[in-house]
Amino acid sequence: MLLAKNRLLELLEHLSTQARVYVPARLEVASLAGESTDSGTLSHFVQYAAGVQPDFELVNTTLPPKDMLFPQTQKMYRYGFDTDGVPYIDPIHDADEVVVFGLRSCDMASIDCMDQVFLTKGYEDEFYAPRRQKLLCVALACGQAAESCFCDSMGIDPNVAANADIQLVAGDEAFSLSAQTEKGQAALSQWQAFLSAGELPVAPAPTSCSLKVEANGLKDKLEQMYEHPLWEQISKKCLTCGTCTFVCPTCHCFDISQSNRMQMGERFRSWDSCMFFDYTEMAGHHNPRAAKMPRVRQRFMHKLCFFEERYGCSLCVGCGRCVAQCPVALDITVLIDQIGAAPLDEKQDVEGAVHAG
Amino acid sequence: MPVEIEHGCARATEQLVPIACKISSISEETSDVKAFRVQTLEGEKPFDCEPGQTAMLSVIPYGECMFCVSAQGEDYVEFTIKKVGYVTTQLHDLSVGDVVGLRGPYGNWFPADGLRGKDLLFVGGGIGLAPLRSLLTYVLAHRSDYGRVDLVYSGSTIDDLVFLSDIQGAWTEYPDTHMHVSVYKECKGWDGEVSFTAPFLEKLAFSPEGRIAILCGGPSLFRTCLESLEKMGFPPEDIITTLEMKMKCGIGKCGRCNVGSLYICLDGPVFTMAELADLPWSAD
Repeated sequence: MLLAKNRLLELLEHLSTQARVYVPARLEVASLAGESTDSGTLSHFVQYAAGVQPDFELVNTTLPPKDMLFPQTQKMYRYGFDTDGVPYIDPIHDADEVVVFGLRSCDMASIDCMDQVFLTKGYEDEFYAPRRQKLLCVALACGQAAESCFCDSMGIDPNVAANADIQLVAGDEAFSLSAQTEKGQAALSQWQAFLSAGELPVAPAPTSCSLKVEANGLKDKLEQMYEHPLWEQISKKCLTCGTCTFVCPTCHCFDISQSNRMQMGERFRSWDSCMFFDYTEMAGHHNPRAAKMPRVRQRFMHKLCFFEERYGCSLCVGCGRCVAQCPVALDITVLIDQIGAAPLDEKQDVEGAVHAG
Repeated sequence: MPVEIEHGCARATEQLVPIACKISSISEETSDVKAFRVQTLEGEKPFDCEPGQTAMLSVIPYGECMFCVSAQGEDYVEFTIKKVGYVTTQLHDLSVGDVVGLRGPYGNWFPADGLRGKDLLFVGGGIGLAPLRSLLTYVLAHRSDYGRVDLVYSGSTIDDLVFLSDIQGAWTEYPDTHMHVSVYKECKGWDGEVSFTAPFLEKLAFSPEGRIAILCGGPSLFRTCLESLEKMGFPPEDIITTLEMKMKCGIGKCGRCNVGSLYICLDGPVFTMAELADLPWSAD
């Protein structure tokens, strides 16, 4: 099926009447003084509405699409006492139909990772599951990779987003559309009025990333590197600012807290970061990851080793967002190379060094 | 046959949203430890759980914390809570009848069935008796199913010993059940053993033959007693412990309580030392 590019906005307009539609777009960032600054440097999946200009050339959006499923702040329930003094705890389940248009393969793979976390191991998360059920994923093949992209090294094809409901490929005048799931099939049949039969006259050349890493064997190597001096070395420059975790499409750690007004309040969950000191700080100030090194190690071990041990796939999808945004250039692709090159017999030296130091 | 411990136990009736419950009784154990019994607003037991499982208790406007269920009865679950932080301070200000939020039970449990027929050596310090108490009371309630029972328990002073009335009273009345209590420093009202836990444990010289050790306490007690148990010949598969970590969700999603690829809230908190040997974990 084909969708003429000049009918795209019509389709988005139509879909917006039935669902919240998210598209990649550049954000206007207002400064505190109110004037618009930095226009165009920050991008995100934003809800389509009049005035929103989708930008399907963006590789990749600065911020990941995870908030559609896992909002940065999500109210879970309201609590308080009613007029008779009887306590109540009322869950807030507010999932809407959502269409996300223009996900990249890495973004789709990140949703697969989140599905593992929130939908398996005995507990289907009651706030994630309904949102996931109501999400239609329309992926767009990457016409070109960004400098920081390395998804194809992580086993992801930038040209086809496995598990997306619909795959788009951009031609000169039109997008080709193919349904990859039943849900996608059903959507395409509803979109018939905007589509035409046929194929792209010239199929675009497949894209590959110029940035490469060797991810094969990474988990097995890391299983022997928990005590390796590499962690101390690479964590030195980390500011523990948490930027990497907030721009990461797969980082899913959350905090739970509350806001109160008089006798009633709301408990919500919000994105948290393993880079922060208080993430693991317990009452009485005991903290197993008080130092920077164990926090940096935890993040990378989780991404490249622990998650795969638990769920069978890597928690890094090679989107390059953390590579592009880290203020001190702590580059996961460089780290992966360092892990590959690290000799395994250094453990003894480190212990000696630690005791001596 | 080593004792088998189940992991990855998803049994909670509530995931993230608690039910409103009430405090049905409070007993003051020490100056900063209270035991709270909690039941539903209708006066029923909030959930059934196994010894060693945990639950998330909230003082509704202030926040929630994970605690082990230290005991349970027909119509209540009990939590033994030391006042150490923000939420526990609020908890200590509650009175009987006050409303709390409760969700759970989370995690795995002590292998009470697998321990049948064995001699049991409980080793704990201070508030570390709380999780042990759940198994100990279970064992005492099924006394004839188990061999000799010993509790080696210590605290800094007499004021740091919880459930002293049980230790010096009810628990001693069961057959072949022995209580060994020490304090770390001489104090008023104490004429018993003065010793750290590990040397006391070594002095008592337990044979590892047919005996399983169950250990719970702070990092230094844990490390030293573990060394003592190893010295006494206990193999790591015969030493059972329960871990703690900061927790927010209880269902293996929020991320912070991991040890390697496992989450203490969901895959633990109960492990054998043999299992921990394969994980990137240390007693600190």
